[in-house]
Amino acid sequence: MGATEKSRAVGRNVPRKEGLDKVTGAAKYVDDLTFPGMLHGRTIRSTIAAGEIENIHLGFARKGFTIADCRDVPGRNVVALIELDQPCLAERRVRHFAEPILLLAHEDRERLLEAESLVAIDYREETPIYDPEKSDHCFKEIRIEKGDLARGFAEADVVVEGEYRVGLQEQLYIEPNGVIAVPENGGITVYGSLQCPYYVHRALRVLLGLSDDKVRVVQTETGGGFGGKEEYPSMIAGHAAILAWKSRRPVKLVYDRVEDMVATTKRHPGVIRHSTGVTRDGTLTAIKIDVLLDGGAYMTLSPVVLSRGVIHATGPYRCDHVRIQGRVVATNTPPNGAFRGFGAPQTQFAAEVHMERIAETLGIDSVRLREKNAFRPGDTTSTGQKLGRDTSALRVLREAVSRSDFRAKRRAYRGTNRGIGLALFFHGSGFTGGGEVKLASKASLELTETGARILVASTEIGQGTRTMHAQIVADTLGIPYDAVEVAAADTARVPDSGPTVASRTCMVVGKILERCAQEMRRELGGRSAQDYLAERGSLVVTKEYSGPDGLYWDDETYRGDAYGAFGWGCDVIEVERDPETWQIRPTRVTAVCEIGKAIHPVLARGQIEGGTAQAVGYALLEEVAMRDGRMANAQLTNYLVPTTLDTPEIDVTILENPYEHGPFGAKGVGEMPIDGPAPAIVNAIRSLGVDVRSIPATPERILEAPSLSASR
Amino acid sequence: MMRLPKFRYYSPRTIADAVAIRSDAGPEGAYVAGGTDLYPNMKRRQQTPKVVVGLSRISELSRIGEQNGRLVLGAGLLLSNVENDPRVRAEYPGLAHAVSEISTPPLRNMGTIGGNLLLDTRCNYYDQNYEWRKAIDFCMKTDRQQICWVAPGSPKCLAVQSADTVPVLIAMGARAVLSSGREEREVAVEDLYRNDGIDYLRKRPEELLTEVVLPAANGWRASYRKLRRRGAFDFPVLSVGAAVWREDGKVTSARLVLGGVASAPVRLSAAEAVLAGRPLDKESIEAAAAAAAGPSRPMDNTDFSFLWRKEMTAKFVRSALADLV
Ligand SMILES: Cc1cc2nc3c(=O)[nH]c(=O)nc-3n(C[C@H](O)[C@H](O)[C@H](O)COP(=O)(O)OP(=O)(O)OC[C@H]3O[C@@H](n4cnc5c(N)ncnc54)[C@H](O)[C@@H]3O)c2cc1C
Ligand code: SF4
Repeated sequence: MGATEKSRAVGRNVPRKEGLDKVTGAAKYVDDLTFPGMLHGRTIRSTIAAGEIENIHLGFARKGFTIADCRDVPGRNVVALIELDQPCLAERRVRHFAEPILLLAHEDRERLLEAESLVAIDYREETPIYDPEKSDHCFKEIRIEKGDLARGFAEADVVVEGEYRVGLQEQLYIEPNGVIAVPENGGITVYGSLQCPYYVHRALRVLLGLSDDKVRVVQTETGGGFGGKEEYPSMIAGHAAILAWKSRRPVKLVYDRVEDMVATTKRHPGVIRHSTGVTRDGTLTAIKIDVLLDGGAYMTLSPVVLSRGVIHATGPYRCDHVRIQGRVVATNTPPNGAFRGFGAPQTQFAAEVHMERIAETLGIDSVRLREKNAFRPGDTTSTGQKLGRDTSALRVLREAVSRSDFRAKRRAYRGTNRGIGLALFFHGSGFTGGGEVKLASKASLELTETGARILVASTEIGQGTRTMHAQIVADTLGIPYDAVEVAAADTARVPDSGPTVASRTCMVVGKILERCAQEMRRELGGRSAQDYLAERGSLVVTKEYSGPDGLYWDDETYRGDAYGAFGWGCDVIEVERDPETWQIRPTRVTAVCEIGKAIHPVLARGQIEGGTAQAVGYALLEEVAMRDGRMANAQLTNYLVPTTLDTPEIDVTILENPYEHGPFGAKGVGEMPIDGPAPAIVNAIRSLGVDVRSIPATPERILEAPSLSASR
Repeated sequence: MMRLPKFRYYSPRTIADAVAIRSDAGPEGAYVAGGTDLYPNMKRRQQTPKVVVGLSRISELSRIGEQNGRLVLGAGLLLSNVENDPRVRAEYPGLAHAVSEISTPPLRNMGTIGGNLLLDTRCNYYDQNYEWRKAIDFCMKTDRQQICWVAPGSPKCLAVQSADTVPVLIAMGARAVLSSGREEREVAVEDLYRNDGIDYLRKRPEELLTEVVLPAANGWRASYRKLRRRGAFDFPVLSVGAAVWREDGKVTSARLVLGGVASAPVRLSAAEAVLAGRPLDKESIEAAAAAAAGPSRPMDNTDFSFLWRKEMTAKFVRSALADLV
């Protein structure tokens, strides 16, 4: 073996591993699968937000139906995640609208729907809490303290304060949540649309009281996740498994769009307050930030969302004196959870709009202000992490400013209906703090007659996992890309590589694979795969995560190295205001991202374009209308995401500043692109003279917002 | 998944057969053209006809041609056919524009002009799936015993007229031909509608809309403006159809019609009167726009706050008229 320059895969736009199957329709999604004797499942959900269940009446003949409630759970009735607070099926207490209470299964979908309409549940209602500021239950509180805040404020000439609000956002993957549970070999196998097979595996073991080997989870081709299939599949898989367990038959449970939107997790809404001390010339001397996130009724992943949120809350800026206090609290809405960015888009929205307001207050150029304070190599973050050579905040800022001709346009647009705004941001790759060490992810590589097979639990959910992993392995082994296969993410076959989240699949799992491939290459010692297999029978190399030396994290004090590496980004967004309706149309985005190394430039660009489009929705359109704790616009006709006509032209520039511990220098790219566009758009609206501080910035909101001269 | 309920489907080849089947089916029956309105409604169980009479095989309904200087559009013409027809584009640009603003290209390749005229009224509390509506105990439009969630004291449903072509067709003075088999009648498009969200059409259920007739295109021009949040997909939540007849630089008559603010299109007679006898200029347009705001009384049952929609009315009337200067 031995790679020639020409056959190298990394850095080239090789065909996606599953691309042909997807474009020809051969790819099988969960709803395409069927099993002999399969039943269809249906979830009966609460129609109140808080209270107790008093009575359940089943007004239909039960023959042919499998009916299950909390008493049918063989193990523990919980969705096992961080805290075991969420029942898989409500017992007496109901804490949010659409909470699952009862499960039905039947061969005939129509009969199922009829039966559902004949179920009546009596409740004793209680007063729900929807306002997080009024919640008396805190899931998690985090405090970050750096330097001496009082001293920092004493050094300031000016203190700028502000409150920023962000709304709920739906992930809106194109394929709704769905699974099939099949009872087999005294255990259960679940096929499903999901991001994290081993999360589901653990949840099912706890729920069904089964041993490791009796539970198998297989990811089917998945039509997007964006975090929405990080924790929720453990719930729906649990429901299908309970029904399958009871009926001894395969059970398919696939949500339609409405159920998916009404019942599953969303991005945490929040209120973020800043108080910043700054000198006249624009040096940040003190930063005090208060983050409040609404977690909804159960904990799910809220503590970790908060954690990433607070760590990113200063934005990519240096300051010696920082205090960040974060809380995520309970309310009576469906639980909020993982969504691309995971807390960072919320807090960096606040940070970057606040930065703009500091510049406005001081009357200085906001690019200068950012340049002055942006992280440089050797600076320390709020947690005291010393930043390495791959710190590119200034580089992305300067590149975006010059590529977009920001300064000239800002001058030219003054007094017109056009605006331009900027946001600088960063995003940590991989699990926060000691997360990766705790996860101890594994990856395996198996030698085949023709090359190698990747065995990882990382899932392909549209972002290109299989392709990117195969590129890394191919080049490390020095074999052609086509000679690398990727096994299905099936817990019976692949080791636990950790969840497919947190921009970790390339940087962390890709790195473990690189190490597997290096060892395999050494082991082969120049022999061909055939020769080796003829001689030795088989070769499987398994490696476990091992972090770079010297990474340190203290979870008690929130001090240390929060992430192995950060990606860096800067967005410049131009907007046009309709002079009549005040509707804001973004016309052009200049997105500059530094991601270490683009293993597959087209896929990396796709992440940036997709994340940007999703963030345009977050900034301008997407509003979850909550009425009495229930989503009132749970359809694509009224939950409005950007169409192509609402998505601006996106000029993507990828910069590479290799991270020494990433595979081929790569860092994460999946989440970062969603951090910047919302503040850049709001800053562009501010350049039109409107003091907007919350999103979505709908025309109604813009009209209500004071004009800038008045509020300054 | 949301699935269609079971129904029997007929696809007659003649108007007479279609009307006969539809009449026999009585209240259990429905016509379907492109199905882009009816089928989603059936999936949501808003309508559950047992007999569906498909119109797509009736070739007579897809004709387009001239008749005494008027342009006759078969009701079964696809929206994309109307939008791209050279005569419509050249002589009725206001209508072509209104059609191009409907939803998306795929929808316009399915939906028909006839279906658009007869589009069901819409409401945030009604255009929801069955479970959602059941959770709020439905409303008057599903079950006449229930209240209206938008205006609990209202004796009638206030669901909103939402078809894009209607305001501009009314402004132009277009007419509709209805057939009940042996008999045929022609009515002004304006007279097709009733301001009642449930009973929104003044036509007998079995009457088939066969043609939309556009008046000869001289001496007047028409325009259309639509408010929606996105560049595509969304129904109008405020719209203005305008047509102005002029002689010697003066407006001889004008028609202004609001869509999306009531269960029927709303004629702005006061604003129309303001224009008569004056040149169409900045001043007369301002005056007409000012007179338009009053009659616009949207309810809180579509996208955008109703105050916003009301606020936008004068501006939209102004721009619709400015398009005609
Ligand atoms: C996502 C989405 C977005 C949409 N956006 C818009 C929009 O922006 N603007 C807009 O105006 N519409 C919109 N629509 C509605 C619809 O697509 C159009 O109004 C279309 O023109 C309806 O035509 P159709 O042929 O599909 O109607 P159908 O669904 O076939 O019929 C509609 C109604 O008219 C009756 N009918 C149809 N033809 C006849 C006839 N010849 N005689 C008697 N009765 C008849 C049917 O019984 C039914 O009650 C949208 C629909 C969807 C699903
Ligand atoms: S206006 Fe009232 S009655 Fe009509 S659909 Fe809406 S809520 Fe129902």
